[in-house]
Amino acid sequence: MNVVQHAADRFMRWAFSVDPATWPHAWIVYAGFILLAAVLAVGFVALFAGPVTWLERRVAGRIMSRIGPNRVGPQGVLQWLADGIKCFLKEDLVPEGADRTLFRIAPYFVFGGMFGAFVVLPFGVHLVAADLNVGLLYILAVTSLVVVGLLMAGWASNSKWALFGGVRSAAQLVSYEIPSAFSLMAVILFAGTMSMQGVVAAQGGWPWDWFLFRNPFLFAAFFLYFTAAIAEGNRTPFDLPEAESELVAGYNVEYSGMRYLFFMFAEWANLWIMSAVATVCFLGGWQIPGVSPAEVAAAEGLAFVGWQALSFLVFAAKASALILVVVQLRWTVPRLRIDQLMFTCWKYLVPLSFVCILGVLALMVVVREGGTVDMILRAALLIFGFWAVVEYARRIRRTYLADKALYERMEGKAMWYPPYRMP
Amino acid sequence: MTPAEIAARLRTRFGDGAVVAVQDALLDPTLELAPERLHEAARFLRDEDDLRFDFLRSLAGVDRKEALEVVYHLLSLPHRHGVTLRVRTPRDKPSVASVADVWPTAEWHERETFDLFGIDFAGHPDLRRLFLPDDWVGYPLRKDYAPPAEYHGIVTTREGSLPVTRAQVAGRPQVQVAMHGAKAEELPGYMRVNMGPHHPATHGVINFLLETDGEIIRKASPDVGYLHRGIEKLAESNLYIGTMPYTDRVDYLGAIFANHSWALAVEKLLGLAVPPRGEYCRAIASELNRIASHLIATGALAMDVGAFTPFTHWIREREKINDIMERICGARLTYNYLRFGGVARDIKPDVVDTIRLWLDHFEPILREFNRLISDNEIFVRRLADVAPISAADAVGFGLVGPNLRASGVHWDLRRDAPYSIYPELEFDVIVGKGFRGVVGDCYDRYWCRVLEMVESMKILRQACDKLPEGEFWAKPKVVKPAANEFYAAVESARGELGAYVIADGTDKPYRAKFRTGSYTGLSIIQHLSPGLMLADLVALIGSLDVVAPEVDR
Repeated sequence: MNVVQHAADRFMRWAFSVDPATWPHAWIVYAGFILLAAVLAVGFVALFAGPVTWLERRVAGRIMSRIGPNRVGPQGVLQWLADGIKCFLKEDLVPEGADRTLFRIAPYFVFGGMFGAFVVLPFGVHLVAADLNVGLLYILAVTSLVVVGLLMAGWASNSKWALFGGVRSAAQLVSYEIPSAFSLMAVILFAGTMSMQGVVAAQGGWPWDWFLFRNPFLFAAFFLYFTAAIAEGNRTPFDLPEAESELVAGYNVEYSGMRYLFFMFAEWANLWIMSAVATVCFLGGWQIPGVSPAEVAAAEGLAFVGWQALSFLVFAAKASALILVVVQLRWTVPRLRIDQLMFTCWKYLVPLSFVCILGVLALMVVVREGGTVDMILRAALLIFGFWAVVEYARRIRRTYLADKALYERMEGKAMWYPPYRMP
Repeated sequence: MTPAEIAARLRTRFGDGAVVAVQDALLDPTLELAPERLHEAARFLRDEDDLRFDFLRSLAGVDRKEALEVVYHLLSLPHRHGVTLRVRTPRDKPSVASVADVWPTAEWHERETFDLFGIDFAGHPDLRRLFLPDDWVGYPLRKDYAPPAEYHGIVTTREGSLPVTRAQVAGRPQVQVAMHGAKAEELPGYMRVNMGPHHPATHGVINFLLETDGEIIRKASPDVGYLHRGIEKLAESNLYIGTMPYTDRVDYLGAIFANHSWALAVEKLLGLAVPPRGEYCRAIASELNRIASHLIATGALAMDVGAFTPFTHWIREREKINDIMERICGARLTYNYLRFGGVARDIKPDVVDTIRLWLDHFEPILREFNRLISDNEIFVRRLADVAPISAADAVGFGLVGPNLRASGVHWDLRRDAPYSIYPELEFDVIVGKGFRGVVGDCYDRYWCRVLEMVESMKILRQACDKLPEGEFWAKPKVVKPAANEFYAAVESARGELGAYVIADGTDKPYRAKFRTGSYTGLSIIQHLSPGLMLADLVALIGSLDVVAPEVDR
């Protein structure tokens, strides 16, 4: 069911009391609703990307033992607005000798590629602009547009450093699309559908119903996808296209003002896309634990809105947790070299993703779903996953406590402020 | 081997005329060689088994008014003995044989001497100006040098006002300065990229002219001189003590060391002794400074390979050292702490307590740092086996300090040419063993620095415990050394930091020359870089711990 069309139909019945199927002016309403959906999605990107930049900088500040932006608004939460306004007011500079047309349109390719993915991302039970039956394939295809934009930006800038960045990003993104596509292929095989909503519907609300813990090869595919997606998003340790200590800023070195902001927008929007796709494909998407999708779909009125909101919150919480992992990863590890990057992709990730596909197929054939072997595998994966999360938290706590003790001994004052007094 | 014996060896080999004079009266006994014999003598000195002068510490030009001189400070690492050579060349047509093929490090030293004295080095492979622009007129360190009134429209004299208004600026002729690298032959088919002068990986204002084949570098020629402040020239027009603040600026990450070498040289010329407490204060300040400098070096290397976090953690710790240094001498970066005969201010007992507290604090932090970055698989793979420097290359190119030791060469001035109180203290000299890859690779250079911080902590603990009571400054009445000359060197964070001072009996030095670690460290990059990837070059520069002002002085 197309959600936008459905909503438009209901709107027409309610507002004009006409039958949309026969009414000749229905296309105007449809177009309006499509526009509305697009505005909502762009608004979400903007409203999401902005605060996430702030969040990342604050988290990075914590990791790096400094404070981070804390001046604009309470806890600096409006910093992204100030940055945005600043970038709006900056001169839109086109360097001398640059290919002006290409230089100007390049950011839109990047932004368009990223934004296109939002069309099929399911944020909640019915919160999806278009539930395409080739949803996953569509995401893989449309995000490839980003490469064109980056290469264009690098080439058109008439700067050798930007060209380095552009060529690096082209090589990197094209390479890493393969393992990411193939690990998603394992999901497609397992779910039997390419539709994002279909993949979500094939899972359940509780962790043991997630694809992540359903099959050891899907478990592996999750990490393959996550690694490849980080690389596609130019995040550390794969941030070679914008390696600040080598290329200074890479492909966007000559950009300023709003066009620069578009690249940044795309980077953080991509953060959401990769986390959302991982959530949809492996972590149960918007499925609310203990509530079946049928129950949600049957709800009417206020209950309907409530379920939608709750499913969105579940989805957002899972995706945000992944985003925090990516952010933490970025501020912890160094960067690979270009040959190591290619080596990692072609010699490890690509073969391993093939193994994942074959493994998923083999297990689907051999192991009966719901049988003893299946249950044992799922229990083992679940326990392992649970242990990993606990160990992760425990390590962070241990390091934190050790640092706190050291700090308090050296400085003679408490390290942690109550949150409302955080600097 | 004494200079007289060396002179005898040279005379038997090359005839009596080879050694013009043996100047025994000098603090550095010097052999004056006949210019036409210099090259063969140099080779002889390097290759003979009982001589083996394999290390050219410093090469300095001197303007003696009636003639120009080139002074070579040689060192034999196997035999641990040194000698100073001197060659005179006429003023009107100064030319000396190049020894760049004997000691590769001489290549840059000779370029510098050519730049500042106009001495032609016959047989030099690439004799260009090093610091000054190619079209500069005159040789600044000559005594009769008069600076040109203007250079491409830039008024150089103090009387000439700088252009202020837009009209004045617009009326100025366009300045087009020829870059040094521009003369180097262009490799066909490669992309020429300027890495610098403003580039985060060059750690200051240095330009690398790269010829790249995609990501692979075919040639990297450093272009230095952007930060040349003429400290050696300034020293000639300043009182001895007035030069002390300038020495801070030789290397701003390890300001104490240039202080120290300057003080050592002048004290030797004055025949001045330093009271024990003064020596301990110097050692404490030096070791704190060494840790601070290594923090920057290792942190910046981590940042160069893409990990930002370690750097900020190290800056945080360095801040604590800066706080301590501020309490010791009132300054956080350029200390101006040493005086001839001691130090400017005493280290108070409460500061000693703070140092101890900080050392206890720092030890676990260092372990945490190693967990965070040193053992990180990506970090190790980015550095291990990258740009290894063989021991022979390291010695030949005059690498010093951690860079030299990382290549497996045991040479630490604190132990091997002791000064200050270091003979009384227990510490290990860290030598590269190929910790993660081959000996002398980038990881060895990095890891040597990390381990040296541990050694410095050992030294600090001992120095804090042993700090004697008494005077900290035996203040000399007048600083006016008799005519003489001396080359004093200390082990700075970046290796041997030497000060070669010639006194002429007045209260100003006749000639001062600083020999720094970054300078020789940078000169090897040209020879190591072909075949490296762009990211490797960044790691190499970071691992050599090049500090731009120390290169240019």
